[in-house]
This record gives sequence, structure tokens and C-alpha cells, in this order.
Amino acid sequence: MSYKAQLTFFFSFSVLVGLISNSVRSDGISWLAEPIDAISGPNDALSILGEPEIREVDLNMARSLHQSGILFVDARAEEYLTEGIIPGAIANDDVGFLAEQIDYLIGTEKGFVIYCSDDDCGSSEELAYELQDLGFSNILVFKGGWKSWTDAGLKIEKNE
Amino acid sequence: MNKIHPIFIIIIRVILGCIFVYASYDKILDPGKFARDIANYHIVPFGLENSIAIILPWLELLIGLGLIAGIMVDGSAMISGGLLMIFIILILQAILRGFNIECGCGLKEGEMVGWSKILENIVFLGASYLVLKQKNRILEFYPKTPLSQ
Repeated sequence: MSYKAQLTFFFSFSVLVGLISNSVRSDGISWLAEPIDAISGPNDALSILGEPEIREVDLNMARSLHQSGILFVDARAEEYLTEGIIPGAIANDDVGFLAEQIDYLIGTEKGFVIYCSDDDCGSSEELAYELQDLGFSNILVFKGGWKSWTDAGLKIEKNE
Repeated sequence: MNKIHPIFIIIIRVILGCIFVYASYDKILDPGKFARDIANYHIVPFGLENSIAIILPWLELLIGLGLIAGIMVDGSAMISGGLLMIFIILILQAILRGFNIECGCGLKEGEMVGWSKILENIVFLGASYLVLKQKNRILEFYPKTPLSQ
């Protein structure tokens, strides 16, 4: 076996094993490092660094976040869910179980959106703080919630 | 290069192999940290530190196992020498540019770059050269005889 063949073996096998292991492991990294996003202004920095980490989003923002595939959590009580939910949203009256479900789906650091019935329902905020206490660090509360979503004629998902 | 006893070469070969296997272990476990260590050298362009962090530890593991097991020793020793030369250049440029950074060498947690690391790598480079150039080698299983013979 020549030098060339041996070197080819080592390099190609390393690339192959690296590729496979990186794609199957849960803490795999992207093949190219991405630069850290720059902050555009002092307000931007304060909003990132400031507490609490729960932030509000309006209908337009909620719609674009939904289109980008972010997780939605329905904070309404179970009896209201028969009207339908925002497509793909998850819901559970048991906060502990809901937290486990969110953790399983996206982990504790990725952002998600919580909504309830309308502007004044409050249960989305309440749930947001409960989930924050359970370790979730990036929570968005959709002001207007279900009412503004359906008033805008956006798609809903009916429970079977 | 034939005056050195073959047993001595085996010892060097196995020690060098163990060093590479050991050095690869932490890097394989945490490629993200290794990628950050590489990035700290400020020499790898286009975000390629991640690709290097994914592939290089496996290359180190493979050549380490090759050296220990006596399989493709020539290729292993040649790659180990090449890698060590690159490491020496990387550390040297970091020292000359005044970087006080973690080595990321994988041998000791939190070890910083410095002249002692260069000296250490020169010793390992010498060991690789001895293994590669020694004609009278024994206990090699594939290929059975050194390519230099």
C-alpha cells in the first residue's frame, strides 16, 4: 500500500466519520461557523440584555413567526380549544407536562409564542411567567391572540 | 537510520499513538469548544474552523490507532509529522502576534500557547520522523514492511 493510498485512506475515512458523527449527534455543529449577529443600536442591546425575557409580539409579527415555523403554545383552557387552534400549536392544562413537551420539541433556549383568547385574557402572560420560572428563556406573548388571528381570517386548525 | 533498536522505535510509535488518541478524545466529545479554540488563532478563513473541528479529531484518532496497532504506520507517521508542523506554525504565529489564548491541543485542559508547547511539538515531530525514516521496524501488521525499505 503506497503512501498516497494510506494518506487517502486516512483523510477520506476521517471526513466520512466526522460527517456521520456530526450529523447523528445532538450537539453537532454547522460545517461553517457563523459570525455573531451585530447589534444595530443601544436600544437593541438593552432589549436583548434587559429583564424580563418575555416580550410581546403583535399580529403581523406573530404571523411572520408562524410562517417561519416557530412553535406556538395555546394558553387557553381546554374547553376553548374546540373552536380550533393556530395550526401546529400545542396546548396542555398541565404546565409541567407542557414544559416537558416544549423542552422535547425545541429545548429551553429557543423562542416560542404563547397566545390566549384576546388582548385582555392574561393567561398567555401567566403561562409565560410560569414557563420562565421552569427555565425557558425566550418567550414571546402574542397580544391579541386567538381573536385577532381569526378576525384577520388566518388559517386555523380544528381539533378532531 | 538503522542504528536505533526496533524495540525503541515501537515504544516511540506507541507513545506517539497514545498521545494522538488522548488528544483527540476531548475534541471529539466537544467539537464546538474545539472550533472556538481554532477560531482564537485568527488564521482560519470563511468559518472553516467548524469543518476542521469536525474532521481533525477523527484524523488524530485514526493515526493514533494506526501507530499503536502497527497499521499503515508510514501514512500515520507522515500525517502526524505534517499535523505537528502545522501546529508549530499556528502556535508560533499566535505567540508572535501576542495572543494569550488556549492551545486547544487536547492534552491538558486550559493549557495556553507558549514556547513550551512549541518545544513539545518539536519533540513529537522528531518522534514522527524517527518512526517514518526507520527502516528496521518490527511488529507492523499492514502493510507488513515499511515503505522506506
